[in-house]
Amino acid sequence: MYMYDGVTEMTPMERMMAALNGEKADRVPVNIYPRYAPLDYLGITWLQAWEDPDLWVKAQILGQERFQYDCVIDYNMMGPVEEFLGTKLKYPQDDAPMIKEPAIRTKEDMKKISWEVDPRKDGNMPKVLHVIRQLKEELIKRGGGKQLVPIATWGSCPSRTCACLTGFTEWFLIIAKDPEWAQEMMELALPSWLEMVKAEVEAGANLVWVNDPVSSRDCISREAYEKLTQPMERKFIEAIRRETGVPIIFHPCGNWHDRMDLVAQNQADGYFPGTMDIQLCVDKIIEQNKAGKARVKAINGNIGAAMPSTTDGRTPVPYASTLNQSTPDEVEAEAKEVIKVVEDSGLRSILGTNCFPPAKSPFVNIDTITYSARKYGTFV
Amino acid sequence: MGIVEDIKESIINMDGDKAKELIQKAIGESLEAEKILKEGLIPAMEVVGKEYEVGKKFIPEMLLSAEAMKGALELLRPLLAKSEVKAAGKVVMGTVEGDVHDIGQNLVSTMLEGGGFKVSSLGTDVPAEEFVAAVKEESPDIIGMSALLTTTMPHMKDVVAALIESGLRDKVKVMVGGAVLNQQFADEYGADGFAPDAASAVRLAKRLISGK
Repeated sequence: MYMYDGVTEMTPMERMMAALNGEKADRVPVNIYPRYAPLDYLGITWLQAWEDPDLWVKAQILGQERFQYDCVIDYNMMGPVEEFLGTKLKYPQDDAPMIKEPAIRTKEDMKKISWEVDPRKDGNMPKVLHVIRQLKEELIKRGGGKQLVPIATWGSCPSRTCACLTGFTEWFLIIAKDPEWAQEMMELALPSWLEMVKAEVEAGANLVWVNDPVSSRDCISREAYEKLTQPMERKFIEAIRRETGVPIIFHPCGNWHDRMDLVAQNQADGYFPGTMDIQLCVDKIIEQNKAGKARVKAINGNIGAAMPSTTDGRTPVPYASTLNQSTPDEVEAEAKEVIKVVEDSGLRSILGTNCFPPAKSPFVNIDTITYSARKYGTFV
Repeated sequence: MGIVEDIKESIINMDGDKAKELIQKAIGESLEAEKILKEGLIPAMEVVGKEYEVGKKFIPEMLLSAEAMKGALELLRPLLAKSEVKAAGKVVMGTVEGDVHDIGQNLVSTMLEGGGFKVSSLGTDVPAEEFVAAVKEESPDIIGMSALLTTTMPHMKDVVAALIESGLRDKVKVMVGGAVLNQQFADEYGADGFAPDAASAVRLAKRLISGK
């Protein structure tokens, strides 16, 4: 039992893990990758929580209790590995760090990098691990000796890591001019983030999400994805499974309508689709599952892109800004549709948005997600 | 096919060396720089933009075409200056304060240049007062603002407010773009227009200049 005496709801841990294993728990779980809502709830900035990791832990714990979603997160940021490898970061007040100065401009730069990392002692990686350990400890205390809420950690797939090391413009030029160099760099980058993910799981994370914002239809051709970056995504995901055994969710960030079949083949347990039509994503994934080429159990999302009018694959669909631009009724209508489309397909729905819900989203809209999961996604 | 058409094709085909070679040849044959620009470079970048929109070209291909176009433009620029060819308009571009993502802004700038606009970039992480100073100093027709993050995009509103406060809002059009933006945000921030991608940014800029 969790939170309310006499209520027979299952725990967030049971609910999330069941869904990621393709099973039905008591109801559809909710996972919104809560980066901003807990900070807004506490009235603190991202930078404050970065400088004081215990503040991040507090925000995640109180945010989960306040909004009742089913998963908390660590810093979920791209920085620590890339920063240690040489990329200089800017730490803004209100957001996760971003690239200030890339580490790699030439092949020589790449060769000079020491790619081996020890997440327990290098750079800011220990800070991320500290947050995971503290989150786990706090969750166990609050669960009376048992961890009732899962912790999601994050892993950067090789294409993203390389883009963060070279800068995004340069990465796309390398793909165009010298795909062999791109391949070589991704092979070098993969083990660094794999070490980090292993350490994150060892510290207490219960699931990993991996994202790729640089291989969508908005960025590169299907051919380049198929030949170059998708095989590396798959290799990374399979290595995480082999080394950690935890469930893996993949986030194709942006519009991947023309390549969802390939995305499904990269062997994640769940998908957290970007700004795409939910029906199209489900159809492609089911097709690949049936062909034995994918092993997808759940879809995490996809409020913000649920409307059937977007199935042509080209119409821009709204970013997760639905959460701060729409009314609770609109959020509820999309949530209802997402649950129906996903659950009717036989996949499990993990309700959420199509990216991080934006900062300053009205709390009532976030509350509406869990409200909708209970209203439209209760199984028992 | 004439040489101007060949120049156009070389840019569409991302062949920077070929574009430069042809431009030099065209200049040697005393072809007017304005003709090369208006019948070669500008239509080439229009095709590139359209091909991006329909999924025939992607960012790497756009960047290569942009490199080819820039190389060609570099050779033409002194001649264009001599013949006093009027730009389609002047645009000051920048990524708003707190945001260091530059790829969107770079692509839009290049496409605008390819569309015949004169573009100056303030770079990334640009505070509102720098946009205002640029309007005072450079008198652009348009300010173009980019943001990739939901946490930085509200700074667009600050820039518009600063323009109003400085009494400059009526002197310049404001267009905005970035992955997380939409028309609703653009309206909320007081922009004159929103463009979802680099190709449509050129169409928007032309529309804003013509006042339609």
